[in-house]
Amino acid sequence: MKFRKADPLMRDLRRVLPSDRVRVAPLERSIMGRDASIFEGGRAGPVCFPISTEEVQGCVDAARRHGRAVVPRGAGTGLAGGAVPLEEPVVVVATKMNRLLSVDADQRVAWVQPGMINLDLSRALAPYGLHYAPDPSSQQVCSLGGNVGTNAGGPHCLALGVTSAHVLAAEVVLMSGESVVLGDADGWTPGLDLRGAYVGSEGMLGITTAIAVRLTRNPPAVETLLLAFDSVDAAAQTVSAVIADGIVPAAIEMMDKNIIWAVENFVGAGFPTDAAAVVIVEVDGLPGGVAAEADRVAELAVERGGSVRRATDDEERALIWKGRKSAFGAIAQIKPNYYLHDTVVPRTRLAEVMNQVYEIVDEHDLQVMNVFHAGDGNLHPLLLYDAREPGIMERVHAAGSAIIEASLAVGGVLSGEHGIGIEKRDFMPLMFSEADLDAQARLRRAFDPEEMANPGKVLPTGASCAEVNALGKVPEGVWG
Amino acid sequence: MTAKKSLGIDTEEMASRPALGIDTEELASCVSCGLCLPHCPTFRVTGEEWASPRGRISAMRQVQDHGMAVDESFLASMDSCVQCRGCEPACPSGVPFGSMMEATQAELARRRRVDWRRWGFRVLGHRWLLSLLSRSLAVVQRLRLVPSKRLGLPKIPLVQERLRATGNDVWLFTGCVMDAWQRSTHASVKRVVESAGAGVALPSPGAACCGALSLHAGLEDHAHALAARTMKALEGSAPILVDSAGCGAVLKEYGKHLGTPEAVAFSERVMDVHEWLAAQADQLPSVGERRRDVIVAVHDPCHLRHVQRAHQPVADVLSSYVTMVTLDDEGLCCGAGGAYAAMQPELAASIRDRKLEAINRSGADIVASANPGCTIHLANAGVDVRHPLEIVDEAIDYDG
Repeated sequence: MKFRKADPLMRDLRRVLPSDRVRVAPLERSIMGRDASIFEGGRAGPVCFPISTEEVQGCVDAARRHGRAVVPRGAGTGLAGGAVPLEEPVVVVATKMNRLLSVDADQRVAWVQPGMINLDLSRALAPYGLHYAPDPSSQQVCSLGGNVGTNAGGPHCLALGVTSAHVLAAEVVLMSGESVVLGDADGWTPGLDLRGAYVGSEGMLGITTAIAVRLTRNPPAVETLLLAFDSVDAAAQTVSAVIADGIVPAAIEMMDKNIIWAVENFVGAGFPTDAAAVVIVEVDGLPGGVAAEADRVAELAVERGGSVRRATDDEERALIWKGRKSAFGAIAQIKPNYYLHDTVVPRTRLAEVMNQVYEIVDEHDLQVMNVFHAGDGNLHPLLLYDAREPGIMERVHAAGSAIIEASLAVGGVLSGEHGIGIEKRDFMPLMFSEADLDAQARLRRAFDPEEMANPGKVLPTGASCAEVNALGKVPEGVWG
Repeated sequence: MTAKKSLGIDTEEMASRPALGIDTEELASCVSCGLCLPHCPTFRVTGEEWASPRGRISAMRQVQDHGMAVDESFLASMDSCVQCRGCEPACPSGVPFGSMMEATQAELARRRRVDWRRWGFRVLGHRWLLSLLSRSLAVVQRLRLVPSKRLGLPKIPLVQERLRATGNDVWLFTGCVMDAWQRSTHASVKRVVESAGAGVALPSPGAACCGALSLHAGLEDHAHALAARTMKALEGSAPILVDSAGCGAVLKEYGKHLGTPEAVAFSERVMDVHEWLAAQADQLPSVGERRRDVIVAVHDPCHLRHVQRAHQPVADVLSSYVTMVTLDDEGLCCGAGGAYAAMQPELAASIRDRKLEAINRSGADIVASANPGCTIHLANAGVDVRHPLEIVDEAIDYDG
């Protein structure tokens, strides 16, 4: 569809925003058609860059008057296609709403705009000795609004909890155009926890325009250990043993052989490229406790045949984390495309499911790499491929489905932190009953009766009542 | 194809050459993770995808792989790129963004019917002509007949001191605009290099320009011709020291661009002058007392930090002579970008504003930057900015 100046929707949007912040050039609409996931078939309608809550309300009003859906977007680093626009909706981009609004260091609360970059917030808080705890691997670029949308996790969420545990309140523009505050920055509000329902709703309940986040004190002492193992089993057993021993480290991350060299090639942090798996364990807190816990972790690793390296200073620690956090991006050293899964399995079944993943991938003649939050059993198998190879996508999808089924079979779940988006939408019935999905659809419609906020995501088409069995397919061409 | 006439693009030529001529493996090598975004100065100031490396690669793919027309928004996306290459060290997959952007600019230059740069940059290759024009400009400036600040021009000297060769241990590459406008910097650099015990050779007018500006504007033929002349003028095996980061980056990439064994051997002789000095640290004279209390912040030129990846030696050399502070913006570009500040003044100024905030936060008295483009651009915003070796030259106690 072409958008001309005289188009009534354009006319209304340009009443709300100056014309240089409403974009309709075909190129721009097409590059806004994707995020960091593998979906390529999306296409935006008008792309809007509001800078205030009132402007977001104006965009939503204009879209509603013309029966057009609205898709919110942050930095576009989502891995499940949550921000991919289907059927040319109005795309509301938060990147220009990127300010830190206020900091209350005593109460440990900050109000931020949704386009603020996760790491920029922690940097801005450094003078207070505080930080924002959830640290997705993409934290140097992902936005806090997107973190709220996906209820994002991160390596350091093991001890402190994911995004939902750090969001006290959200100012939200509903599809009616009304602006409401869910939750309370000062504490808990009585009544239903609407804030809890909102965090992780992937843009289907409204558009976030401000967030009150809980701030965390920087730990007085930190120890980072890099453990190397000759087998994935030994690495996985060590992870279970650490938790079973009563230690809850700040983070436990695992990487397997295939990804170690790609990461080492980029950061040169001295990762052992001959190991079958490495585990990064970070413990933090008061100095005495940290030292004792680090010693115990090292002991448990050595008992299981592991070797131990401890980061001697902050620089070495930063380099180890840089390696872990750039793992996904390093993939193109091997293949130009990857399909990343995000299932969670019980920690005690980790080794078993990983071995199944290797078998599944062999069966489909693909390559796989594993880099994941081992401490909470959140697997991230990355299937590598070159989309230009004919017939490859069928194999990639078949292997992906088998991995999901294997994870669910041991009592796991579909997604740990990336969200459902388009990617896992049609897998939802594997995990939820009709009644579950119906309840979710009714909750969504309580906020958004017309289903105009980010339609086509998360809930299978016709998720309410008995239509579930006749699943709507993902639109043609969306699977790149 | 409905490209507007005002674009000056030859649409027939375009129809016959649909691709941008980017290496297909390079173009396929981006996984769209977005980790480059915060390291891109134009994304940082706009927050818009078309002004980010990932968005630009996506746009290149639309044109090269999916046959989308080159239109106004495509040109805006490409031409707004500073070519700072800050995205390259940030990319875990090592996507060669600079190479793709150079290929794209070369293709766009072939299609552009009118481009003043094609003629303007010719001047740079002729030292006498550039010198004549510069002196005329210096006179006009003093008569207040040109809005220098708006055009991003420095105050051009009326009279330049003459540099004399003192040996042939090392070459000092003098370049075009820097030699015409900032020769006093070369004089400082030469004194510091000589103080480490080396005799300095100066190139003939054949090495008048490295070709960087032409290359970044996509004028490959002109850039290659300048490269051939430069290589001829800097013969022998002595190290070639460069005090302009932009020039040094291109001289080091002659081997890649020309692909000949001579060019590869030439590039291996090129060193940023600070790299050479850092290796002779024990030869350098001691500091006079007076500069110790000066606080200096180093602004790393992009082509030193991201392309040559040789910014550390600047700090190593400077730290013996002054008190140093670090800017907290992770080496983000200042917006100068060679001719960029003149071509995209609004974006260049917004990018510079971020840099000015970082400089203010650092509490520095002076900013040191080893690239003429950066020094001119920052000085136009009122920053006291010098070449690092001017600061060292002033601090050295030559009599002591």
